[in-house]
Amino acid sequence: MLFAGYYLWIAPHVFLGVFLIFLVRRKLQRELPIFTCYVAFELIQFLVLFTLALRSPFPNGIYNWTLVFGAGIGSTLQLGVIYELASELLLSRSPLKPVLRPVLQIVLAVLLLGAAGASGAFSGISVQSATNTFQTIDFSSNLIEAGMVLALFVFARVLRVSWHSWGAGVVLGFGVAASIDLVSAALRAEWGKRVFIAADITQMAAFHVCVVIWLGSLFLVGRTPPFPDGKLKISDLELWDQELQRMVQR
Amino acid sequence: MTIAIVFVCIGLLALALIIYLAKGHLSRSGDLEKLAVQLRPVDVSAFCNLISVSEQEYLRENLPPREFRSIHRERMAAAVEYVRCAAHNASILMRLAEAARQHSDPSVRQAGEKLLENGLRLRLYAIQVIPRVYLSMAFPNARPVPGIFADTYDTMSRQVVTLSCLHFPTHGMSSAL
Repeated sequence: MLFAGYYLWIAPHVFLGVFLIFLVRRKLQRELPIFTCYVAFELIQFLVLFTLALRSPFPNGIYNWTLVFGAGIGSTLQLGVIYELASELLLSRSPLKPVLRPVLQIVLAVLLLGAAGASGAFSGISVQSATNTFQTIDFSSNLIEAGMVLALFVFARVLRVSWHSWGAGVVLGFGVAASIDLVSAALRAEWGKRVFIAADITQMAAFHVCVVIWLGSLFLVGRTPPFPDGKLKISDLELWDQELQRMVQR
Repeated sequence: MTIAIVFVCIGLLALALIIYLAKGHLSRSGDLEKLAVQLRPVDVSAFCNLISVSEQEYLRENLPPREFRSIHRERMAAAVEYVRCAAHNASILMRLAEAARQHSDPSVRQAGEKLLENGLRLRLYAIQVIPRVYLSMAFPNARPVPGIFADTYDTMSRQVVTLSCLHFPTHGMSSAL
């Protein structure tokens, strides 16, 4: 269990480091700058927490408050990344902007209200101030993130918007991690310390899956789709001719 | 306890939906030749006739109310089918437009951009129009479809022809529309 815990803590961050290196080498940080900041922040937070965890005696208070501030900054950056991805994938297309922007704002407002209401209703959120704050941020951010990612996928599906960029993989990674985290955050918020370790392991595993999806999207999905070559065919010429004649007769 | 179970269910449902939607998204074929076969013919003139206010008024004046309502329902059901076909064709033409956007020729890229924009616009209209047509079935006085829907489809068809003229292989899509 101890090995699994350390593996799930360290391995995803090693993969994330590799991901960041390839991201910068391919100059993709220009496409999603907030996402690049988020990845860098995740790595810095891991290094700080890991260093604190190795110290003896274990600085419990400092570790918990670092975790809380990290969760706060991380959640804000994640929301920024979702906005960035929505802009890149949907809002950049001019006919969609005036319709989708208010719809996404309404979805966000509903999710915020839901998160605020549910956070107050959980009985497990009342143990320590740092843990209390962390659980509230953790649950709320995961609910908002999972909801927003789902909304993005639904819009893309309904409007048949094509997502061939690696951004689609980033959205998928966030969505998978956020929905699994939402399950464990809800359990942790309700039952508190009794399920802390299980919830932590689940969240770390979800983050591992998320990073693997990001890496995969960078290497596999990023390829451009096959499209026809520019060679002219006689059959196409005939069809164009027919169509032009039909239109002239209209 | 109950609220935790509710959010656990929401989380699992969201996970399943995200995976399902992403899978559908990634598995979409990129073969334009296969997609061209899936195009459904749409007669824009017949569609305009179905949604024409003057036609509707003519039928209302010349038919008994009961018969008018029945015929109006049938006409609107046919109009929904036309809208669905147009939206389906738009999604296929958007794939063609995506391919055209990557072409080396700037004029092809520009034509692809316009086609994509109109495709998106048409799918947005379709989402708004279908409930209105159903509403018109229930309340025959309501005007179901704005004329702009048919105009946008017509513009899209013309843009596919423009792409063809720019030496971009459309795999016979222009004639299938």
